[in-house]
Amino acid sequence: MRVLVIHSHPVTDSFSGALRDSAIEGARAAGHDVRVLDLGAMSFNPVMSAEELRGYKAVTPVANEDLTVHIDAVRWADVLVFVYPTWWSALPAQLKGWLERVMRPGVAFVFDEDNKVRPGLRQVRRIVGITTYGSKWPYVKLMKDSGRRTLLRALKLNTSWRTRSKWIALYGIDGASEEKRTHFLAEVRRSMEKL
Amino acid sequence: MNVLVLFAHPLADSYGRAIFDQVMSSLDGDNHDVRSHDLWRENFDPVLSAVEKRNHFAAPETKTANDPLLATHVADLEWCEAIVFVYPSWWSAPPAIMKGWFDRVLMQGVAWTFPEGASRLHAGLARVRRLVAVTTYGSSRWVNALEGEPGKATIRRGLRVLCNPRCRSSWIAHYGVDRATHEARSDFLAKLPRRLHRALH
Repeated sequence: MRVLVIHSHPVTDSFSGALRDSAIEGARAAGHDVRVLDLGAMSFNPVMSAEELRGYKAVTPVANEDLTVHIDAVRWADVLVFVYPTWWSALPAQLKGWLERVMRPGVAFVFDEDNKVRPGLRQVRRIVGITTYGSKWPYVKLMKDSGRRTLLRALKLNTSWRTRSKWIALYGIDGASEEKRTHFLAEVRRSMEKL
Repeated sequence: MNVLVLFAHPLADSYGRAIFDQVMSSLDGDNHDVRSHDLWRENFDPVLSAVEKRNHFAAPETKTANDPLLATHVADLEWCEAIVFVYPSWWSAPPAIMKGWFDRVLMQGVAWTFPEGASRLHAGLARVRRLVAVTTYGSSRWVNALEGEPGKATIRRGLRVLCNPRCRSSWIAHYGVDRATHEARSDFLAKLPRRLHRALH
């Protein structure tokens, strides 16, 4: 399968970076084609400009030059893997902005004649989320786990009914031991091998 | 009441801007003290930097010392008793520029502390007694319910627990704005002052 890994974290050699590497290694070991968009390293700008929003619904969208590589990668992929730390129970702003700018009309969805949103990601067969939470599981659920909802509900509505999803998460990372972290890295690798 | 208004929309001639203007004039009419931030106009950078991440548990001054805009945001957050968010919901949540306000401004020593041995964050915004969101959604209430309203959860749960235990939150939303008639939009604007008055009462 064609696997696109989208990673967002400001520090390259962070634990999040190690998760990204484990995910890539696992997918490659299973013989998948892998492409990586490392938003932090690319200094991806998550803020949509006024001009970009004005052209949002145009037939030929005014997609800025720096979006081309991202849009091409999304069109190429049949597995989308998101790797990020959960902040305020949601995606980091940079990854949220990536959804807003890259998952645009003509890429992730189309507007039909009634101005209703219709799916545009029917080729995507899997959505995978790999994330860490500072809080423990019950607290994350009490806060309603916004990030997971954004990816596995809002984004998934734009895929096919056959698209499957997978959530691989480490809860309570603030108090997690070295052993627990290492164990989680191995779990990420194993899950990606079994895609 | 000291009211902090956070506004996000890139276009000056948008419906979002009209809502913001209406919010500002109704707050003025109710004699609140108001401070506001137009995040797009002030070029707010929503991306938490590597330096900020490394100083996650450091004193706020280490992060605001070389960033006057961030310092202003922190001062305004410490000053306010109510926060009003005005934004269009994108992917069922605040735009990235506003999510970045959460990521960067809700910092240790201001919005929360993490004392030695604690199992979770301790609230730091005891002054804040009202949270209000005024937002538009392109899609219907039904679709957003299906998506689980992630933006609503971030504000009414995630941020709410950092505020005063008696803090009340209100949700003033216009669903299905992509397909709304001109009358529906005007009606929402006309009712806004009354709804805002009740939310901040």
